[in-house]
Amino acid sequence: MPQLTCVDPNEQAINVAFKPGETILQATHRAGVDGILAECGGGCSCATCHVILTSDWEGTLDAPSLQEADMLSFAVDLTPQSRLACQVQLNDQHDGLTLAVAKRQY
Amino acid sequence: MNIGIVGAGQAACTLIAELVRGQFSGKILVFNGESYRPYQRPPLSKSWLHNPTDTELIRLLPEPIETHASIKWIHDHVVSIEPDQGIIATKNYRHTVDHIVLATGTRAKTLAIDGLSPDQVHVIRTLEDAIHLYEALAAAHNIVIIGAGFLAFELASSLDHPERTVRVLAKGIRALPQISVKAADRLLDETPASIRVGVTIERYDQDSASLITNHGPVPADLVIAAIGAEPNTELASACGLGTSEGIPTDALMQTAHPRVSAIGEVSLHAQPHLNEVIRIESISEANDSANTLAKRLLGAPEPFEATPWFWSDQGKLKLQIAGLSARSDDETCLIDTQTERVVIRHKGDHVTAIEAVNAAKEFMAARRLFDQGPISLKALLQAASVFSLLQLSRS
Repeated sequence: MPQLTCVDPNEQAINVAFKPGETILQATHRAGVDGILAECGGGCSCATCHVILTSDWEGTLDAPSLQEADMLSFAVDLTPQSRLACQVQLNDQHDGLTLAVAKRQY
Repeated sequence: MNIGIVGAGQAACTLIAELVRGQFSGKILVFNGESYRPYQRPPLSKSWLHNPTDTELIRLLPEPIETHASIKWIHDHVVSIEPDQGIIATKNYRHTVDHIVLATGTRAKTLAIDGLSPDQVHVIRTLEDAIHLYEALAAAHNIVIIGAGFLAFELASSLDHPERTVRVLAKGIRALPQISVKAADRLLDETPASIRVGVTIERYDQDSASLITNHGPVPADLVIAAIGAEPNTELASACGLGTSEGIPTDALMQTAHPRVSAIGEVSLHAQPHLNEVIRIESISEANDSANTLAKRLLGAPEPFEATPWFWSDQGKLKLQIAGLSARSDDETCLIDTQTERVVIRHKGDHVTAIEAVNAAKEFMAARRLFDQGPISLKALLQAASVFSLLQLSRS
């Protein structure tokens, strides 16, 4: 199974196996990664699953939708690599992806 | 301290997760009356119906929390509680705990229709309901949804299919009565369902496979009732802690008995945003009340003070609401473009809610503004958008 590495708010790196087709949120949630609140459960409605991609994955990911970008604009400590974990769908190309959970979700 | 949580829905699971993360020192018994591990309800009427095989995708608790050593899962129905003794009784066993948490939630209201057996009038609340509905879909060509709210129209969008006709029959004078006419119009513009209002159901006629209504027969080989929910208050009422309206609590989620708390959709407490005691059915209420109780059980109590918010996916449109309005509140349209619509609900100058269709930025700005305090209609109209008002308030 492909794998991503997630750095949680306590600076702990956690390896998370994922199934192609699922979202970063689904994979990290199953693994119990700390700090991703996802209050709405993955509906792109609360902006509390803010993650920051730490390596250059441009080109392998679809750009954020307008809805995601608008929600993200309210995230604390927004960066150009910020995404909502519920909106990023993973595929085989993303084996080795690294990301950090935003330290504050609101 | 050992606690027993009755229920395993959103509020119960948020409480469990917060207690585990907060290193709660006692044991946590969780009574789950359903035969599934905890799952998310909102997707059942949305994405789940398109991809019902993978229940892993709607799992509510992460594995490390669900299997944490402090938690004991009891898959059984609770038949009674005895607050003075801290007893939670199932059919065959009496469990003793120091504190009882009622997170019993709500159940779908059912509708008796002459000519149909109860299991032929579908509801959607639990995963079991959703599976039962999904299984019936294959043979369904004429679907009738009785109801007028978000659930009715979410289902109408989710069930849209070239080989099906979906009709929504509403009893009242308009569809989506809980939101403004302007926001409702935008959503209903794109619903795949045909809508009839002012409908009374008389009976079901098996021979013609139709619902007989005051407007004549309506073809129906699948009938769904989406007419709201009612709180599960029986356990609380049996010991004097609940009424048919809900389980009253204070701002720390404590009921009238010091050993019993109530959280989630069943709890009835003051909503600071409205300055009113009201029961709210939403994910935000489940999470916020559970967080309030978790803080108290972890020894750092802080009163409930969240502003309610809601969302609903209607096909490609997303409705997001910050705040809570009453049906009688006035409406003023703030933004109306080809893509976005934002409607202000208000009582005079006091803004009670902001309804945003495909306008996430406005919705998020409204949540932040409500968190800062009351919003004035005049100020909002002057600023011309919620986002500008938020920026002004910060400058």
